[in-house]
Amino acid sequence: MSGALYACAYAAEFPAQALLRLQLDLHPTVEDLSVGTPNLTAEPVAVLEGQAPEESVCALNQQARRRGATLGMTRLEAESIGGLRLLARSAENEAAARAVFLECAAQFSPRIEKVNEREASEGAACACVLDIAGTERLFGPPEQLAGRLRTALARVGFRVSIAVSANYDAARMKAAAGRGIAVIAEGAEASALEKLPIAALGLAEGHAETFALWGIGTLGELARLPEAELVTRCGAEARRWHALARGAAEHTFQPLEPEFSLAEFCAFETPVEQIDSLLFVGARMIDCLAARASSRALALAAMDVEMKLEGGAVYRRAIRPALPTADRKFLLKLLQLEIGAHPPQAAVMALRLTAEAGPSSKVQLGLFTSQMPEPSRLDVTLARLKALVGEDRVGAPALNDTHQAGRFRMDAFSLAGGKATPAAGRPRMALRRVRPPVPVRVALSPSLSAFSSRNGGESRERPDVRPAAFREGENRFEVVAAYGPWRSSGCWWSDGEWDAEEWDVLVTKADGASAACVLIYDRKQRAWRLEAFYD
Amino acid sequence: MPSAATLRLEIERFLENRFPAALTPALRTLREVVETGIAEVDELLQGGLPVGAISEVTGAVSSGRTSLGLTFVARRTAEGRVCAWVDASDAFDPESAAANGVALGQLLWVRCGNGQAESPAKNKPARGGMGQAGVGQAGLGMEKRPWTRLDQALRATDLLLQAGGFAAIVLDLGDIAPAYGSRIPLATWFRFRQVADRARSSLVVLGKAAYAQSSAAVVLECAPPRLRTAGETVLRGFTFTVRRGRERWAPVEIGTRKPGPPTTDFGRWGGKPPASAWDAQAAWETELRA
Repeated sequence: MSGALYACAYAAEFPAQALLRLQLDLHPTVEDLSVGTPNLTAEPVAVLEGQAPEESVCALNQQARRRGATLGMTRLEAESIGGLRLLARSAENEAAARAVFLECAAQFSPRIEKVNEREASEGAACACVLDIAGTERLFGPPEQLAGRLRTALARVGFRVSIAVSANYDAARMKAAAGRGIAVIAEGAEASALEKLPIAALGLAEGHAETFALWGIGTLGELARLPEAELVTRCGAEARRWHALARGAAEHTFQPLEPEFSLAEFCAFETPVEQIDSLLFVGARMIDCLAARASSRALALAAMDVEMKLEGGAVYRRAIRPALPTADRKFLLKLLQLEIGAHPPQAAVMALRLTAEAGPSSKVQLGLFTSQMPEPSRLDVTLARLKALVGEDRVGAPALNDTHQAGRFRMDAFSLAGGKATPAAGRPRMALRRVRPPVPVRVALSPSLSAFSSRNGGESRERPDVRPAAFREGENRFEVVAAYGPWRSSGCWWSDGEWDAEEWDVLVTKADGASAACVLIYDRKQRAWRLEAFYD
Repeated sequence: MPSAATLRLEIERFLENRFPAALTPALRTLREVVETGIAEVDELLQGGLPVGAISEVTGAVSSGRTSLGLTFVARRTAEGRVCAWVDASDAFDPESAAANGVALGQLLWVRCGNGQAESPAKNKPARGGMGQAGVGQAGLGMEKRPWTRLDQALRATDLLLQAGGFAAIVLDLGDIAPAYGSRIPLATWFRFRQVADRARSSLVVLGKAAYAQSSAAVVLECAPPRLRTAGETVLRGFTFTVRRGRERWAPVEIGTRKPGPPTTDFGRWGGKPPASAWDAQAAWETELRA
């Protein structure tokens, strides 16, 4: 006893069934089903696929078959059959019907494998195999379960055949070939499959012709062939055919994983203007998202907030914690800070939260690791700091790849990459920048008595001229010593061109205060400015 | 004949109700200190700046406060730790920080002031520019109304201390006039001291004057520099002078040996020099030597 038990539900002519299922009486009697009365519709129907004028019949019901319609007929041929109703194949309809089919089957087992389309008559059928081992106490013996499954599928509009077997492929092939319900006892797979045509194996055209030449037409005849000789003539693939024909093929069951999406949506009856009211609903939604993620041992790695605003506008923000988390309070705080920093411009009509699941963060703590901020608390702190001083004024400074002084950018601050490095050597002179630089009026060397104005830069062409004093507003600063100039220029090929002279000057004020600062003479604009102080 | 230890225990037990542990020396807390990265200053402080306490570096513009702060932060980031720089006047220079060896990726820079965030409820335009401060912002004059930036800086420092995990937080009030800085309530400094102690963070305050009063563990007073030049065109560096203004928890000498008589003029400081001089070179000197 292997303990495995599979039930295959096979819906033939699926394109037709998908189109006609909603026109059925969805509550057929058991008698109707037991006598095999075709209840799809009362009229013959054929489904056409392909582009006009090369359309062909891909599915049809029994009434159409009785009228002489066959698969592969052209539209012209099908139209020549009187009373035959022709419908166009609908991929959307089939996808919806397939979802209903699987959902209905899922009522009987959580482990369902969808039979791939090539094996299911190239998309003209829909089949799934249920792992029903251990369901006897819920649904009764296999015959009873098969009956209930067939009835349930009939209620949603599908006429199916069911086969139950301990072998996956035996159940699949038997269901595809038969009608009604077939239960194959364990160990009797070979005899149950004996009469099935060899086409049930889904052979390639060349192999099918070979078997036809040999006079092998059923699985029983194939099973009786010596395996070694068969493999010698047909290749390694024949070993699997032989096992399939004997009902002894092995199969690794691959259950369908339903798509796991984390999304919550709430439409409000009246537009919401208060952030607190919005957060009240948001908290509940985050709760649900976190609980759903936690049930799969996951956490929320990112959360997208979408709001429909009054007037038709859409508000979107993204929340990305440093580490995936399922902490509701923490996520709610991030949401509050995000909305607080970027409030919607109109009342909110609907709120949608979509989350991405990620693995729960695991942090290995150690006695000797460096003291670092806790990632989740750091996220909240950064959000608060951004709300306090501005979005782009918090982060890690980074130098731009340029020789122009004072250029930098702000990168997002993160804890990644904190490594111990060799300590720096001697301290260096540090600057305190004046942002933005202050325009000043500079008096040049004593030989030039007058203050040079901003546009008086023509005198700067003299090489021996040095700053002697400068004035900013009401304050006058005497230059005690001036070192320079240091000339730099760049980006002459773009709008960001600069061409400057830098002076290091020691200045004193009237009250005796002294300081060392950096004066810049912009050669392009012919203007002086106070750039920074040494400190 | 009972041993001395036994006698001590008996006496202590006898006096236990009135004088607990009468003959056992009271334990003195050894404050953890970390090096600033400047040998002269470390010698002055007998080890470095305290961990979990407020240290104030005071002085006028160009007295070396920022260089000292950057060197300290560089030392902390070199250990793989993260630090924060709360910049009340938006005067921080990343190039200087990099030249001093600060790992910029491990430094959180909070720029207070001009880019003041809009209030969620009010969509006021962001305040701009230089108009409010002028050159006084950078230290030589009296700035007008620095309250917003000061408030932001204090709140940001509070948030960072509460978050924990930052090895060093530099609160840069270097361009705030003492008239404004001294109005920071002492309760704020007391709270900072408590939180810094709990978070094991070194809070370094750069300012023109000492503001934290008794909450500060160490106060360093920086004096205007001496210039080191080469000819008339090259400024090669500064020689800064720093003086120890206050030290709340003097490190304890381990052992029973008494300190010898003072051999220098620093005797009144208990054997420690009251002031030290240290050099800051121009950044290009490194490249030249390399």
